[in-house]
Amino acid sequence: MSVGPYNYSYIFKYIIIGDMGVGKSCLLHQFTEKKFMSDCPHTIGVEFGTRIIEVSGQKIKLQIWDTAGQERFRAVTRSYYRGAAGALMVYDITRRSTYNHLSSWLTDTRNLTNPSTVIFLIGNKCDLNAARDVTYEEAKQFADENGLMFVEASAKSGENVEEAFLETAKKIYQSIQDGRLDLNAAESGVQHKPSQPGGRNTLVNDQTASKDSCSC
Amino acid sequence: MSMPPLPVTSNSQELGDSGQSNVLGKRLNKIFETRLDTDKETLEALKELSTFFTENSIQSRRNLRSKIEKRSLAINEEFLSAFTKVKDALDTVYNDVVSIDSEVRGMSMHLQATRAQTYQLIEHTTQLQAQRKKLSMEQEVASAFLERYQLSPAELTVLHGSTRDSPITPVFFTALQRAQTIHSDCRVLMQSGFQTVALDIMEQMSLHQEAALERLYRWTQSHCRSVESTETAALLTEAMSCLQDRPVLFKYVLDEYGSCRRAALVRAFIDALTKGGGTLKPIEMHANDPKRYVGDMLAWLHQVIPSEKESLNTLMSLCSKIDVSDHIQQILASITEGVCHPLKVRVDRILSTDATTTILYSVASLLGYYHQIFSQVVPESMLLGTLAEVRILAQNRFLSALQGRVKQHLADRLDTPPPDLSPSTSVSALMSLLKEVLSVAGVADGRPEDITKMVGVVLDPLLQAVNLSAARLPTTDMAVYLLNCLYQMQTTLSLYGFMDNRLERLQAQSDAQLDTLTSEQASSLVANLNLGPIYTILQETSRGPLANVPGMDAASLKHFLVKLDGFLALPDILLLPQISLLLSTIHRNNVKQRAFEVICTVYKQLFAAVHDPVNGYQNPSSLISRTPEQVQELLLGNGS
Repeated sequence: MSVGPYNYSYIFKYIIIGDMGVGKSCLLHQFTEKKFMSDCPHTIGVEFGTRIIEVSGQKIKLQIWDTAGQERFRAVTRSYYRGAAGALMVYDITRRSTYNHLSSWLTDTRNLTNPSTVIFLIGNKCDLNAARDVTYEEAKQFADENGLMFVEASAKSGENVEEAFLETAKKIYQSIQDGRLDLNAAESGVQHKPSQPGGRNTLVNDQTASKDSCSC
Repeated sequence: MSMPPLPVTSNSQELGDSGQSNVLGKRLNKIFETRLDTDKETLEALKELSTFFTENSIQSRRNLRSKIEKRSLAINEEFLSAFTKVKDALDTVYNDVVSIDSEVRGMSMHLQATRAQTYQLIEHTTQLQAQRKKLSMEQEVASAFLERYQLSPAELTVLHGSTRDSPITPVFFTALQRAQTIHSDCRVLMQSGFQTVALDIMEQMSLHQEAALERLYRWTQSHCRSVESTETAALLTEAMSCLQDRPVLFKYVLDEYGSCRRAALVRAFIDALTKGGGTLKPIEMHANDPKRYVGDMLAWLHQVIPSEKESLNTLMSLCSKIDVSDHIQQILASITEGVCHPLKVRVDRILSTDATTTILYSVASLLGYYHQIFSQVVPESMLLGTLAEVRILAQNRFLSALQGRVKQHLADRLDTPPPDLSPSTSVSALMSLLKEVLSVAGVADGRPEDITKMVGVVLDPLLQAVNLSAARLPTTDMAVYLLNCLYQMQTTLSLYGFMDNRLERLQAQSDAQLDTLTSEQASSLVANLNLGPIYTILQETSRGPLANVPGMDAASLKHFLVKLDGFLALPDILLLPQISLLLSTIHRNNVKQRAFEVICTVYKQLFAAVHDPVNGYQNPSSLISRTPEQVQELLLGNGS
């Protein structure tokens, strides 16, 4: 039996959110390209990136939507929370204001996503420890209180970047295993690639039946 | 036991002739030495003798010879009869042998004849055998050839399908590949000189391939919708790779795939709109929030496209001979065609409701943003066209809403300018409306032409109205009022980009009003200082000494200079009251300065004329003490 054309079994949809300039796009770039982008332009609306990872022997394709932090794009970015399986919420450890806005980001996330959406808090720029404005303990406490996963990372050095994306995927995968995440539900943020029992396949079958009879 | 004397006697007699005594003695010795018990023959003879010589009598001794002869005869007779029997037997044997011999001879003859007869047969057989060998060799070659250059019945079945609907299996591709291999192997055959057969086989293989591809095409066309099941997907991918050589079939399959996905996408879109998923609310729940509603719909579509593209990439992942990117773009465009209608209907509906100007503006801007996004993702698609269409619609709706509001403002409240000549409320109202809209700015960096258009929609009628109402005022009031209005517009617009053109025009209008105002102010100053006649006289070319001209005599000049002194002490006192109503200090200073400059210039001329001896003034320095520089310093020094 030949190996199927898909070299992965699932697609997980992620969204990256947080204030302007906290390094969302850099985190994505570091994760997908393993490189640091030193002069990253402001994101316009949303950008898109993918990478295939492996969790418990399963190949998983991450579809990552990187949103603009600028307020004027909120109207656009808010629409992308819908059906995200994982949300990476980023702040900048050297700028307290970006940390202070977390609760508003969290509220948005909770309001606009599924309850099963895994929210991962990332304190970015941990390479700039000297300029630190938010302590690890404080952020950790905030994460614990809100049931978020948390790590301090650096898009520049690459520290913990991989971990944040992978841990999120593991948690999502676990939710699937535990049955907390229903793959057949539309917009769960997860697509199961090989032979979906329900889902999109079922949409296809009857519609084209009429066309078949006249196919030449 | 007694010895028969006879032989002894005879012996002695025989020997007696030669060497009597010796021979005799020898004989006797011999006899004596004869040891009867060891001489077996003698013993036997004696033993035999004892059987019939039972009685040692003379008679019997006499008879002995005959008796023995008799016995000998009997024995010989017995021999004879016995040998007769043997002879008979031998005769029989002899006869048998003779007959056998003749038989054998006959057989041999027969054999000879047979051999002669079968020689040909054998020869024939040998020939046949050789032929057989050759034939079997040929058969082997032929079957090897067939195996190499023909498809096996099993392969043929697989290729042509046992029934019309028999499924495609991985074996099919192996068989198809073999047909291809055979086809290309025929080249070798052709090079080795077997043109006819090679061409035949090539044609045959082409036919098989055609038929097989036809079948594969039918199968693919009806199964292409199952690209998401792994097994089918693997086969489909391979099928597409086979079909890439047949552009027409390939295209048909892709079209079919596109229409399947199109239907699926519409269904999924409608579901997301009306049903939602899990705990997610349906998108239409937010229909009352146009911005969010439109944004959610477009974001949903935007997020669906990567997966569709991915599936297409997978489907064509083995098509290495053609450039698939064009196909992918085309099919993506076709897939997204279906959602155009539901999308357009909804956006149209939103736009036809009484949304506020700012909402219309942000919707238009959102549509502009997504138009740009989709122009990268699905260029040259109907979806993009639809977006462009609704975007223009939104833009127009927005502009007409804006026009409506502008009209409303202007109709209601632009009657007469207020007494303080400040911009009428409608100017501020429309400016704040413009500000409000511009600050929505929104997601897409608005296109300059859109913004210019929008500003025009507000400003053009406003300017017209302002000009109309200003026309009823006296010149000075009009200029001040217009300047104030223009000033407010300028300050508002200068905060935003793409306004240079418009600001320039406003500036030109302001400048014209400033000129008007300056000349008004200057004339008023001239009039108040009674400088008019002096100025006129100064300009006259043919005149005598000025001191003699009426109005320019020393007394008149003194009168003027007193007035001027008063003015120089408090220059603002002679300013037109309207000047203080100018909102912009720059305008105010500008007018003042330029008007004062006029006075300075005239004064300078006067000063020069008075000091000119030709004009005959006595003691000019005491008459006109201030130098033009001092006057300038007093009037403009602080002001500038």
